[in-house]
Amino acid sequence: MNDLTAAKNKSLILSDVVKTYVMGTEKVHALRGVSINITRNEYVAIMGPSGSGKSTLMNVIGCLDVPTSGEYFLAGEPVAMMSESQLAETRNRMIGFVFQTFNLIPRADVFHNVEMPLIYGGMSRPERRARTEHAIERVGLTDRMHHKPNELSGGQRQRVAIARALVYEPSLILADEPTGNLDSKTGDEIMAMFDELHAAGQTIVVVTHEDYIAEHALRTIRLKDGLIEQDERHDKRRTQFTLPGAEPSEAHSAAGLESA
Amino acid sequence: MRGLMSITESFRIALSAIMANKARGALTTLGIIIGIVAVITTMTAFNGMQNAFRQGFSSVGSDVIYVSRMPWIIMNDFFLYRNRPNLEMAEAEKLEANLQGKAIVNPSMDTQRDVKYESKRIDGIRIVGTTEKQTVVSTAVPDIGRFLMAFDVSYKKKVAVIGKEVSDGLFDTINPINKEIWIGRNKFRVVGVMEKQGGSTFGGPNFDRQIYIPISSYVKAFGGRRSTDVDIAIKAPSIESMEALEYQVIGEMRKVRKLRPSEDDNFSINKLDTLMGGFNSVMGVVLGLGLLVTSVALFVGGIGVMNVMFVSVTERTREIGIRKAIGAKRHSILLQFLFESAIICLLGGLIGILIASLLTAVINAVLMPASISVPILIVAVVVSVVVGVFAGLVPAWKGARLDPIEALRYE
Ligand SMILES: Nc1ncnc2c1ncn2[C@@H]1O[C@H](COP(=O)(O)OP(=O)(O)O)[C@@H](O)[C@H]1O
Ligand SMILES: [Mg+2]
Repeated sequence: MNDLTAAKNKSLILSDVVKTYVMGTEKVHALRGVSINITRNEYVAIMGPSGSGKSTLMNVIGCLDVPTSGEYFLAGEPVAMMSESQLAETRNRMIGFVFQTFNLIPRADVFHNVEMPLIYGGMSRPERRARTEHAIERVGLTDRMHHKPNELSGGQRQRVAIARALVYEPSLILADEPTGNLDSKTGDEIMAMFDELHAAGQTIVVVTHEDYIAEHALRTIRLKDGLIEQDERHDKRRTQFTLPGAEPSEAHSAAGLESA
Repeated sequence: MRGLMSITESFRIALSAIMANKARGALTTLGIIIGIVAVITTMTAFNGMQNAFRQGFSSVGSDVIYVSRMPWIIMNDFFLYRNRPNLEMAEAEKLEANLQGKAIVNPSMDTQRDVKYESKRIDGIRIVGTTEKQTVVSTAVPDIGRFLMAFDVSYKKKVAVIGKEVSDGLFDTINPINKEIWIGRNKFRVVGVMEKQGGSTFGGPNFDRQIYIPISSYVKAFGGRRSTDVDIAIKAPSIESMEALEYQVIGEMRKVRKLRPSEDDNFSINKLDTLMGGFNSVMGVVLGLGLLVTSVALFVGGIGVMNVMFVSVTERTREIGIRKAIGAKRHSILLQFLFESAIICLLGGLIGILIASLLTAVINAVLMPASISVPILIVAVVVSVVVGVFAGLVPAWKGARLDPIEALRYE
């Protein structure tokens, strides 16, 4: 019982997650046993060289894919056991995605893009409207509400994507190279927005390969060859402190499992 | 209910997708438009022919039973009736006596003759020998002058009531009343002109091209051995009593003919219903063939829609990935694309209905009395939606099954 209560206090628990792709006769081990705890209101950057398993980890965390083995609890729910339809529901309610390429629906205006998760959530129209307008206001695009994505700048598009990610008040915002397609000034603006959301209590995980982006986060997890190479906490002014060893078990204690 | 997207939302998403690509939607509907126009016109034409047929026989009352030597509709069983005896005047009189006034009995005979007035001449006019009761068993009434009367029949008067076409052909603008015409080698005096009945359709007799004369005069003028075959029309007091009357007539005829129980009837009972039945069974085949051809047109149209839907799904692979990432389930994606193809086809169907309406108006004006009925409209709408759903099924399923990760990666 205690474990379960503890689990519910976590945003996210991955324990010994393995993801293996089978390509014909060959097996590709994208994740070889990854354990991560992320508590509420953490701000985590996931880094690592190309092919290290970042995207695979993102897909597992984002409930787009299930692990080959290992366990994954999201707000206490065992994701590894979920059916396709349950995964869709979990993504809808608990995850807000922000992609490198914005991934907006081109023919829908800002309002309808942001509203979309609520539609799939089956929410009533008046409630959708209120929440959508509120989310758009939070990213400062109220005056662009009825513009199509192609009438917006890259930064504005990414803000629409952020509004869409947070409109359903997810447990976790998952951003994959959110500044990858933006110039550095606009990228900073977007990261400032993540900082703001974090300050307001949002849990955020950002995948990036750029150090200056990772510096916005308060914890950096480095992957290499499908394993966690380093898991460190730091503050924003680069006064990083590295945990003694980067073992997943250490991360557990650092995340405060014992406090439950 | 949480996690279940409403139908109206699927509908709106589908509609916005169509609106975003109007030109393609319009092109796609073309096949469906053609199919639906074909379906409606086939059905309307069938309906029109039915109406024309009914109109052509409108003077054959639906509450009248005819006793004749032959059935009206002979398929390939002519040999069964060939050796039947003619119906004699005497038999008609006996039958009338036996029915004891329960129904009105009118005997008639007919033949073909050329008719002449001064220099004008029309060939092959149907000459009907009948009685004053003709106007009771059929709905036709004279337009000018009078019909035959009892004393015309009793005194074998050589008078004639002519059809509208005969009147127009022989007399044009001259008043035909009391003019003497030649029917074959006999002179008859015109006493009346029947009102116009409408032209002949589908092999039915043209009632405007016939002449009524007293049956007694007919026998005297044309009654050779070969033309003594009488048709007996028997009018029931009401439609409801038709069936009982029919059995009674069969019974009395068998008595008149002194048939033993083991012997088959050697006469035929005919009704408007039999005629309509025959028409319907022949036209049913025509309709079936027409619908077969049109379903092929619709099928081809449907294949076109399916193709476009495949393109549409492939083109929007990324969109499907996005929608799935933010929580769309399979059924939401499935519904979105099914609605899209159903709406495209429905639009095609509606345009088809519009075009078919214009076509029907033209048919109505130049060919025959045709109109689009509500059931035909319903069929057209339902058919177009069903075609849309079927055409969209496989592409929509393909889209719904996409893996979100793969779909998001699609360029
Ligand atoms: N769908 C897949 N099928 C087969 N192999 C894959 C698939 N996705 C990723 N991989 C492999 O898994 C490893 C990790 O990939 P990925 O998670 O994309 O790394 P990163 O995002 O850090 O570049 C790579 O070797 C990659 O080729
Ligand atoms: Mg990657």
